[in-house]
Amino acid sequence: MTRVLGPWETFLLAVLVLVYAANAWISPQFLTVGNQINLFQLSIEKIIIALVMAFVIINAEIDLSVGSMMGLSACAFATLVEAGTPAALACALCLGIGPAGGFLNGWFVARLGLPSLVVTLATLIGFRGLARILLEDRSIGGFPDWFAALGQRGLIGPVPLGLLSFLVLFALLYVVLEKGGFGRKTYVIGVSRDVAEFAGLDTARHKILIFMASGLVASYAGLLFAARVGAVRGDVGQGFELDIITMALLGGVSIFGGSGTLTGVGLAILIVLSLRNGMSLMNVTGHIQTGVVGLLLIASVLVPRLGARLARRAPA
Amino acid sequence: MIRTLGLAALLAGGATMALAQAKTLTPGQEVDMVLLPKFLGILVFDQAHEGAQEAHAELQNPGELLFQGPTPENSVAGQIEIMTTAGTQGVGAVMLSNNAGDQIVPAAQAAQQAGTKVVTWDSPIPNGQGEDIFIAQVDFEETGRVMADMAHEIMGGEGQFAVLSASPDAANQNAWIASLEEVLGADEKYANLELVETVYGNDQSEESYNRALALVDSHPDLKLIMAPTTVGIQAAAKAMQDEGLCEQVKVSGLGLPAEMASYTLNGCAPQFALWDFRDLGYLTYQVAYGLATGQLTGEEGETFVAGRMGEYTIEADPGREGAKRVLMGPFTVYTAENVEGAAN
Repeated sequence: MTRVLGPWETFLLAVLVLVYAANAWISPQFLTVGNQINLFQLSIEKIIIALVMAFVIINAEIDLSVGSMMGLSACAFATLVEAGTPAALACALCLGIGPAGGFLNGWFVARLGLPSLVVTLATLIGFRGLARILLEDRSIGGFPDWFAALGQRGLIGPVPLGLLSFLVLFALLYVVLEKGGFGRKTYVIGVSRDVAEFAGLDTARHKILIFMASGLVASYAGLLFAARVGAVRGDVGQGFELDIITMALLGGVSIFGGSGTLTGVGLAILIVLSLRNGMSLMNVTGHIQTGVVGLLLIASVLVPRLGARLARRAPA
Repeated sequence: MIRTLGLAALLAGGATMALAQAKTLTPGQEVDMVLLPKFLGILVFDQAHEGAQEAHAELQNPGELLFQGPTPENSVAGQIEIMTTAGTQGVGAVMLSNNAGDQIVPAAQAAQQAGTKVVTWDSPIPNGQGEDIFIAQVDFEETGRVMADMAHEIMGGEGQFAVLSASPDAANQNAWIASLEEVLGADEKYANLELVETVYGNDQSEESYNRALALVDSHPDLKLIMAPTTVGIQAAAKAMQDEGLCEQVKVSGLGLPAEMASYTLNGCAPQFALWDFRDLGYLTYQVAYGLATGQLTGEEGETFVAGRMGEYTIEADPGREGAKRVLMGPFTVYTAENVEGAAN
């Protein structure tokens, strides 16, 4: 059992079962197919990005610019469509913005050796600035029906594109991180970049690739958001980076790099979403929801430390 | 049933000449309702809630009236989430002061498909989709004239002024500013009033405060800041007072007497206007209840009795094609003479 699930994942699973059981017991609507899909859809952009954020943090970096990249991609899309570009072409162009921005982040971090906290804080401001320049104070909507349908209606049965993307990406990244050479390198570099360099790994190339993946997924999430809500303005995705990082950390990814699993992040995502959804169904909204998720994060930092301390004391 | 009908007839009796065609609402029918403000912690929204509670009690609805709103930082996503959940829960009606622009449309349409009525108040859905009806506090055309008149009087008929609004996507503020610009351009009387800039404080006190000071810096000849939002006008008045600028730059717009009384009395904000948010919440509840219980169809031309406020008619919204509204009105202009009485 512990080989499949570490102690932290086991703990998260127990919490998740508890939250699901409590929600199902309190609200008859919780387990309906419609609500389960809404539960994911309402935060779909964040959870998709959180999967890649796990790679970034395991690699001992951080990417604060994902929310702004979402906004930039969505605003660029809206601007292009408004100017008469076919929506499909606009999508393709915007999916190019993400990796380009990610390359910029990665190059400064990996080649120039600047801290990713500083670099991505700068691009957080920079990408947002570009997004706001594109749209100023306007709101652009009226996208083609097929585009809106991708964000709002089921693609396979009742399951919309966003949720499908999340499931496919989870499966893909699970294999990459846990089974392949790329994943092993991500951990090794995260533990110690110097050791990885010494072992002959091209750490800079690896880091740049991860930042590009982060940018790509963020720009994709921006398009999903535009399709889901049907209109775009300059503040799309603003502040999302904090919720995204919260999910990754709650999933047991160490902020110092080198450890964490995608299973843990997946479970953490489910916990946060079902907790929020359950509170909404019980008509608890706003500040209290934010507070509960905050407490959860504090607990996720404290519990393992207390556990470790107790474990050290026990044999003595 | 006979008792409730009797009560309804009694309510209807208060409205003159209404008995012939105006529908009276039968109280006592059970329907859950959600009042969804732009966000929590704003006095005017609390007042609208009080008005809705009054109507809830008067109509003896055994269902629940929930006052649910997002946090200011999360207003758009929060409104979408509450709207979506309301549809899932099968709530009878959501009464929405929209802060999400057209971004609320998919969620509102999904709620409508689940059988929930979407009644907007204070701020409508700009493109009119996903909305059953809008309860307009005042005629949006009239708002422009009221603001232009206040500016004209405070500035003595000439000079530069700026607008400090809420969020750039707030449909109500944008419509009022557009109407203000139209009035300024159309009437000779206002020919010497120059609107130099419109800025946005996003209905956050600190942001609005800073934007107001920035306006004074960038326009040295500025004589007035017009803020068509209760948060903005108070922040602007405080900024001018704190910096000792009240003699030079006056503040006006839409404000709450309770929050503005001191600034009106000390001359920082000599005039401002508003409508009664309690009445707005009360009227909104009446319409939402009528629609959710099937007593009102929401057709244009339908006339009904809204309790103590009397008779209203559903009409086409002149500002938004294909949308319908109920117009509440009118404005009250507050000055040093009447502000204290209204503040309590």
